[in-house]
Amino acid sequence: MKLTSLMISTALATALVAPSAAQDLDAMTPEELLPLAQAEGTVTVYAFTSRIARVETAFEAAYPGIDVIAHDMNSTTQIARIRAENAAGINSVDVVYISDAPVVFSELLASGLIERYVPPRVAGALDDEFTNPLLAQRLSTKVLMYNEAANPDGAPVGNLWALTEPEWRGRVLMVDPLQRGDYLDLMVEFVLRADEMAAAYESHFGTSISLDPGVDNAGVQFITDLFDNDVVLLSSTDDVNTAIGTIDQSNPPVGFTTYSDRRDNEDEGWALQVANEVEPSNGIVFPAVLALAANTQNPAAARLLIDFLMGDDSETGGPGFAPFYVPGDYATRNDIPGHPDAIPLDEFIAWRIDPAATAEIRQEIADLVLMLQ
Amino acid sequence: MSLSISPARLFDRFVPQGLVLKLCVLAAVGVLIILPLARIAIETLAPDAVSAWVDVTASPLSRNLLWLPLGNTLILGVGVASGCVLIGGFLAWMVVMTDIPFRRTIGLMATLPFMIPSFATALAWGSLFRNGRVGGQVGFLEGLGLSVPDWLAWGMAPTLIVLIAHYYSLAFTVIAAALATINSDLVEAAQMTGAKRSRIVFGIVLPVALPALVAGASLTFAGAVSNFAAPALLGLPVRMQTMATRLYGMIEIGQTARGYVIAILLIVVSAFFLWFGNKVISGRRSYATITGKGGRAKRFELGAARLPLFTLALFICALTTIVPVTILIASSLAPSSSALLSNWTLHYWIGESTANIAQGQAGIFHNPFIGSAAFTSINLGIVVAITGSILGLLIAFTLARYRKGFLSGTINQVSFLPLLVPGIAFGAAYIALFGAPIGPFPALYGTFALLVIAGTAYLVPFAVQTGRAVIQQVSGDLDESARLTGAGFFRRLTAITVPLASRGLAAGALLIFVKIVRDLSLVVLLFTPTTPILAVLAYRYASEGFTQFANAITVVILVISIAATLLANRLQTKSQPWLQN
Repeated sequence: MKLTSLMISTALATALVAPSAAQDLDAMTPEELLPLAQAEGTVTVYAFTSRIARVETAFEAAYPGIDVIAHDMNSTTQIARIRAENAAGINSVDVVYISDAPVVFSELLASGLIERYVPPRVAGALDDEFTNPLLAQRLSTKVLMYNEAANPDGAPVGNLWALTEPEWRGRVLMVDPLQRGDYLDLMVEFVLRADEMAAAYESHFGTSISLDPGVDNAGVQFITDLFDNDVVLLSSTDDVNTAIGTIDQSNPPVGFTTYSDRRDNEDEGWALQVANEVEPSNGIVFPAVLALAANTQNPAAARLLIDFLMGDDSETGGPGFAPFYVPGDYATRNDIPGHPDAIPLDEFIAWRIDPAATAEIRQEIADLVLMLQ
Repeated sequence: MSLSISPARLFDRFVPQGLVLKLCVLAAVGVLIILPLARIAIETLAPDAVSAWVDVTASPLSRNLLWLPLGNTLILGVGVASGCVLIGGFLAWMVVMTDIPFRRTIGLMATLPFMIPSFATALAWGSLFRNGRVGGQVGFLEGLGLSVPDWLAWGMAPTLIVLIAHYYSLAFTVIAAALATINSDLVEAAQMTGAKRSRIVFGIVLPVALPALVAGASLTFAGAVSNFAAPALLGLPVRMQTMATRLYGMIEIGQTARGYVIAILLIVVSAFFLWFGNKVISGRRSYATITGKGGRAKRFELGAARLPLFTLALFICALTTIVPVTILIASSLAPSSSALLSNWTLHYWIGESTANIAQGQAGIFHNPFIGSAAFTSINLGIVVAITGSILGLLIAFTLARYRKGFLSGTINQVSFLPLLVPGIAFGAAYIALFGAPIGPFPALYGTFALLVIAGTAYLVPFAVQTGRAVIQQVSGDLDESARLTGAGFFRRLTAITVPLASRGLAAGALLIFVKIVRDLSLVVLLFTPTTPILAVLAYRYASEGFTQFANAITVVILVISIAATLLANRLQTKSQPWLQN
């Protein structure tokens, strides 16, 4: 009886103080969060990258007594899972580390399934675009890459429209945009940048673009021509990397993949290199987002983990950011300089996606791709 | 005294035979199978989703969303079913009816391909036949300087071959079990009266085996049309889509309404084809030939064809078992997927985390989830094998005893339905149905119970089909006699049907266990952090590009499956009666 009443009063007290407690937590430093997080003892993260395994090890070494349970699954799966768990009233996840910003902003955040948290420690080093509507930890890419070993003098492609010509027939690779959201966002970007695509057409062919009947703009025309030119669709970026990058190919294809996958060149026997001198652009740059699950059961540990993932005060972000301090990933913090081996972000020509604008025509472009397949 | 008729006898008089049983079975399959599917059907009728029907069936998108995938799906279904019945039937005939050497070995090998996940076989095909279309490393044959055309490397032809290589063992199991039940008295009688071999085959063997042939064709047809892994891996580079890959893609990118519409159409189309198959089988009169005795007939002598046929059988078996398994093991040891046979290391199995290999992933035995995942997987396999077998037996019994009538027809069709539903759609349906609390019942999402219920429902067709091929042969006379002497339903079931049908049931339970342990598509949406599953671990490794780790776990799954088979063989010495002399 006594125990029951104690539990009830505790529950009531928790319920009553919950809103203000969350605000207090938001303002806390890592040192203040630590004892609370240690009392919670565990934190579960869904991450769209396997590199979370290294973060887990580093976090547990830095903050003993807090067990990180890391699940890596792609963004689409995370979204489906978070929705399903919410519907079932299960609160198993604390931290969400995810790409697919157009869907995350317009659906997960809008329906209150995840919440914004910006660690006060790093807030000053982040531009507004990286803290609103959610915290962005780094920028990732889907850009045109080629085989450096077979093309020692640089990229074999100088204009995206070259990919629609006979020379590249059946030799342009990407992941099926209907299976990976990042690639659908890339297609959307071609359309959002239709004017630049039109200008690039003229620069490549010397004549202004004439659109097929029913085609609205140069972006749609490009996607149509790319598919007509037998673009090869694969099911994972790793397949694309292997196809493009494998050394000792006489006539390797090119394709759209992740710039930072270049870090695996040595281990995998690849010669992946990014094409950065391409008209009008080589692809897209998009944010990797960190957020709290709305009903997190470990609010202090969740915040501490997000704080850790944002990197420490050293030049390279320390152990929490180490897995992401690689050429081709760009820290959002302006006090972590880019990796010395990578093209600096301001010289990198990829388009920065606009999640809100992307979300608006995403379905339309998905239908276009569907029709072309 | 005038009211001496007991309520029970009154009941017997006015309620048709078997009605209660049929209604109970129908209620069970209704809740397990119809309800989740009805739920997704209802979702497509929601105001903001109903336009998906138009998109899929009558819009500029239909060609790619429905018609082309549908054509490919049907070609795969019919092609795989024919190929499997031919190859499975050929091997079953060799092993059960002839004097081919090493029957035991061939019999065992022919059951193995089904335990190798179809994506592993598809990957193995790529390692051999992959051509330059997708760049990167070419396959073994192009490595030898041969030129592999696109049609052999990608698309329909390799998908057909891989699926036949995967599913023929299903047909083999079902057909071999049926051939083994052929009453030797009949064959001997025919032989003594001087019937020619062909006459014995067409007059006795084929008619008795026909239900099994149709069952084998149905199982493999359904498997082929709902298979996702093989067409996804081999079809995508040439943009070949099936209904299953389309459905998966639609759900993956969040267009669930269109996905559900495709799922429903897939079910309808497949159901039509299977209805047609079942019509063939139920139009025949039943053969009741087992009476629980009778010796083995003299085996057909192959004579001069013995060695060539043996070589052919061995070739088929080796190609579908040893080759893919070897590639699987090699690729769990080779650091680079481009050099399968060099620099082998056990890192992917037992290595500690090192920053420069696979982004610091430790070997699979250091994965904190491996233990609990193996436990959950095996547990799930055992529980579902038991629940599935019980339900399957009830359904098979009902259908065998009361094969006429609308209710039986409905039960028959419904119990076949899950085969036509790609696992991922079935998983989605279960989440849609049980993801939120229903009245007083809590949400089942994330519980072991939901995995059991979904697994049981999903695999009912296997228990029913394998059990049915045998149970139909249990003489109805025995059941009738017992009934006349006053034995109740459960007494008849436990004293007559179960003992005589135990072989088929054991085979069915084994199939269920193996299928659930290596199944991915059903559980990929249902699993949660509290219920890790081996296949999902493998999938997550694979989707991150850690093929070695994925293949290592696949090898673990394979070992569990094979151990289960051997154990079942040991426990059930009679499980392969065709191997005895």
